[in-house]
Amino acid sequence: MIALTTPYLWYTTRATGFVTLALFTVVVTLGTLVANRVGGTVVGRFELNELHRSVSMVAMAFLGLHVATTALDSFVPTGWLSVVVPGASHYRTLGVALGAVAIDLMIAVWVSSLLKQRVRPGSWRFIHWFSWAAYAAALVHAYATGTDARHGVGLYALGLAGVAVLAAAAWRALGRPARASGRTALSPLARAPRPLATVGSRPPKDPRARRLGERDAARPAGARPPEPTHPPTTPSRPPATHRPAARPEPGRPDAPSFPRAPRPGRRSR
Amino acid sequence: MGVIRHGEFVLRVDPVQCDGFGHCHELAPDLVDIDEWGYPIIRREPTPLADHQSLRSARYAVRGCPRQALHIERVEAPAVPPRRA
Repeated sequence: MIALTTPYLWYTTRATGFVTLALFTVVVTLGTLVANRVGGTVVGRFELNELHRSVSMVAMAFLGLHVATTALDSFVPTGWLSVVVPGASHYRTLGVALGAVAIDLMIAVWVSSLLKQRVRPGSWRFIHWFSWAAYAAALVHAYATGTDARHGVGLYALGLAGVAVLAAAAWRALGRPARASGRTALSPLARAPRPLATVGSRPPKDPRARRLGERDAARPAGARPPEPTHPPTTPSRPPATHRPAARPEPGRPDAPSFPRAPRPGRRSR
Repeated sequence: MGVIRHGEFVLRVDPVQCDGFGHCHELAPDLVDIDEWGYPIIRREPTPLADHQSLRSARYAVRGCPRQALHIERVEAPAVPPRRA
């Protein structure tokens, strides 16, 4: 065994534990950003989504490394079974059991996301809620089992990660937007001329004008503030200079509108 | 890629699943416009499958949809005749 002669497997376990926790903190925070519809101006929403997916893959790889080195190492009497079965470890039974719970939940989330094309969307969402429980279990596991997590830098790192995810959870619960929340797409791709809008039929959208600050700046000083709008469902329209024509243009009777009547041949689920 | 495919495709959105994330518009701005509330307006005219750029961006949009509400549907004949011939 390598572990009998060198302590490096054990060191790798400790190090990858911290790296895994940091990565999952990033993953959870990015997931919250995606769910709360952040992005669309400086960074695209799809970019945050892709980052969420990619970083979660890296995090799962580090989790595998963390688990493999722990089980391979003979320094602590865990075992391969304790990776997925809570309570199977003789070493710090409660802490390792919490880690096993976290791994089980993460595997559920991971597999359901990999099979997203086959899983019903409702089930996928339900399973995805498990990630909060998985993160909480992982955080407690890090404190209860971690060699370096009880004091010093390790404790600070743990606290920082916990506060970050707690803030993300509060934001997710309180600041959750109702369904759709306004226009997006200020990605570089979207700056190209739009093929759907013909010249003269519809002015080019300038989403910068939709920002509240610019609208307030355009308002003359001393004027009464605009009447409060309901932000999630009825975003205020840009100033009239950007949109001279009313929405249903008489010249375009077949202008696309949403929602539309379902077409025959639409894919049914 | 490189294979010339015959036929055309359109994107279909499942309006029940769609939550207006707007990712499809960011990923495929040529095929998906977006309305005032962030919901997609899918281009009606079928796009030829030989148009690799559009097909690729459509695939990105389908893959990037957080609600799995977008699908590529192959059409043999144009479902809607071209608006301006």
